[in-house]
Amino acid sequence: MSATGSTTEADNAPLRLEGVGKAYRLYDSPRARLKSLLTGRDLHHSHWALRDVSLELRRGQCLGVVGHNGAGKSTLLKLITGTLQPSTGKVLRRGRVTAILELGAGFHPDFTGRENLYFGGNLIGISREEMARLEPQVLAFAEIGEAIDRPVKTYSSGMVVRLAFALVTAVEPDLLIIDEALAVGDQRFQKKCIERIEAFRRNGCTILFCSHSPYHVRHLCDVALWLDGGQVQRIGPTEAVLLAYETHTRLSAASGHQAAEASAQASEALIVPTEDVAATLDSVPRDVSHPPVLADAGSAAIVSVQLESLQDPEPGSHEPALLAAPDLVAQIVVRGVGDECPNIGFMIEQSKGVGITSIASHEEGAAPQRQPDGTWKSVLTFPDLPLHSGEYVVSVYLFDASGLVVYDQWYQFLHFRFVAPTRMPGLVRLPHQWS
Amino acid sequence: MPGASLMEELRQLWRMRALLAVMTRRELAARTAGAAGGLLWLWAPPVLTVAAYFLIFDVVFGMRLGAHAPTDRVGTFLVVGVLAWSAFADATQRAMMSLVDAGGMLQKNPLPPVLFPARAALASAAVFVPLLVLLVLLYAPMHHFRLAVLGVAAMAAAQLVLGFLLGYLLAIMAAALRDVIQLVGVLLSLGVFLSPILFPLTMFPERWRPLLWLNPMTAPVLGYQSALLRGEWPPLAVWAVIGVWMLLLTLALGVAVQRSRDQLVDWL
Repeated sequence: MSATGSTTEADNAPLRLEGVGKAYRLYDSPRARLKSLLTGRDLHHSHWALRDVSLELRRGQCLGVVGHNGAGKSTLLKLITGTLQPSTGKVLRRGRVTAILELGAGFHPDFTGRENLYFGGNLIGISREEMARLEPQVLAFAEIGEAIDRPVKTYSSGMVVRLAFALVTAVEPDLLIIDEALAVGDQRFQKKCIERIEAFRRNGCTILFCSHSPYHVRHLCDVALWLDGGQVQRIGPTEAVLLAYETHTRLSAASGHQAAEASAQASEALIVPTEDVAATLDSVPRDVSHPPVLADAGSAAIVSVQLESLQDPEPGSHEPALLAAPDLVAQIVVRGVGDECPNIGFMIEQSKGVGITSIASHEEGAAPQRQPDGTWKSVLTFPDLPLHSGEYVVSVYLFDASGLVVYDQWYQFLHFRFVAPTRMPGLVRLPHQWS
Repeated sequence: MPGASLMEELRQLWRMRALLAVMTRRELAARTAGAAGGLLWLWAPPVLTVAAYFLIFDVVFGMRLGAHAPTDRVGTFLVVGVLAWSAFADATQRAMMSLVDAGGMLQKNPLPPVLFPARAALASAAVFVPLLVLLVLLYAPMHHFRLAVLGVAAMAAAQLVLGFLLGYLLAIMAAALRDVIQLVGVLLSLGVFLSPILFPLTMFPERWRPLLWLNPMTAPVLGYQSALLRGEWPPLAVWAVIGVWMLLLTLALGVAVQRSRDQLVDWL
């Protein structure tokens, strides 16, 4: 990052932060705020949301910003986009900056899509003439059709975000800021969005990506910044930063203070499931004999997951099913989009503890097999399951071909017991040898 | 330095004048969006109001003012002050609400806050300036089209600046404390009585008259009355008082912008 840039590169860096800090002034009451405004007296106490952040992003770099809620990520993004002013330090931007934040939030419901398009363009520095030139490609990307001349209040939420995304990305920026999840339209449109962002990146656009999802930061970013309590904990190559961040998260979770938060963060993704899928996930049963049923049969989804050799517990028992074999074999059937070969992820965690392993077909070049009925199937085998005795839970994920778009997820949908042939304590039996 | 922040904002406003024009047009269109009458509804209410004053007081009742009034016809007198006051109240109130209303947009777009009160003041002017032009055409024959009637243009410009300065100042205060919005609403209701709008200045008891100068619209209203009703240039005192008000509001606004600049968006 900053240390490696030459003087010329530094001068042309799309983004440079020098000792940036932001303190929010907190007042005991709005009356105290007005009193301070009128008299000039300091009646506030400061809350430092961000302290002493320095970094430099060169052209084409992608920085992932991770951290828990309240770490200062949103404040950092607002300072970089310019909606907030820093209390200390300097934010130096160069070139066009585009922020994908709350898409469509500025649209006026009574105006047509086209009117909102031109006004929105003005707000982000696209003149009327330029927008007239860009309009055909924006409309083609947004797939709005003739609805462009209807008031936005008649649009579905998906249409609004599609139009807004097409608008803000109509002109390739020098710096693209992406905040959290991108729930943009249906699965097919989500994929288009990711492809456009990837194309920007290939063209040399600098990207700042703020996420709770280490998975996506790992896949998208070459450098990462971990913020904690408004301060930089680590900054540098993605893997090293994420390792430190995940270790910290797990230690926190293990201490019991942030267990719930850590669990939620582990499951969050850059592309969240569509509303239909999300609604279905709410009702995901914990029993493999009652697999989730998707409302939208036309979209990509996990169709079934079967774990072999599971022995049902005694009637009335609250224990999960017992894995009655040394191997863990999972048969996973999914539905893809068209002819695209999807990818499958699988995760094992302790039922009331930490994650143990996660595996994805695109990481290992193990593409699912096409079935005669058009679905895709993978059989995942853990021979001689190297776990100690305990209760475990599995999750299954369905990705697109690139592994970036999460089409569907069955999160912690099946618990099982495993009895290991050892009385030694532990979690995982690592490969080893005595000599 | 307090004035520096305000000057920087005004420079930004000038640089973004094209966006300001677009925002002003959109503001006007948004007010009547979905209405079959469209933009006509911007002008219909004030036109009907002043027409009602004229019909009731001059045509139906034929009421007359005393000898020292700028005109003897009550309706003709009222129309001038009421129209000016309506324009002022509209600009001030809309500008005051502009930052609170634009909170969401300001938190997501790096726009200078000054754009929003300026947009409100300009949109208000776009509604009322054509009405003032109409008034000039109707009143000018009363004094044989004297050039002094052009004083109305100077008064309108001064009023636009006053409305913007006061509206922006109140917008910052309203962002800090929402009670300001309620308080200003009450003051605008009372202000019409504390000005020479309903009664000529000469009809106010002499010992209460100084109070009228606490109303920033007293001087512009006297200026309009002078130009439209008498065909005379607004007197020097009117210009002096307007100048003092502008100076005071500019200073106060400069301080408010300076003190709020790092936290204004947080308040919204």
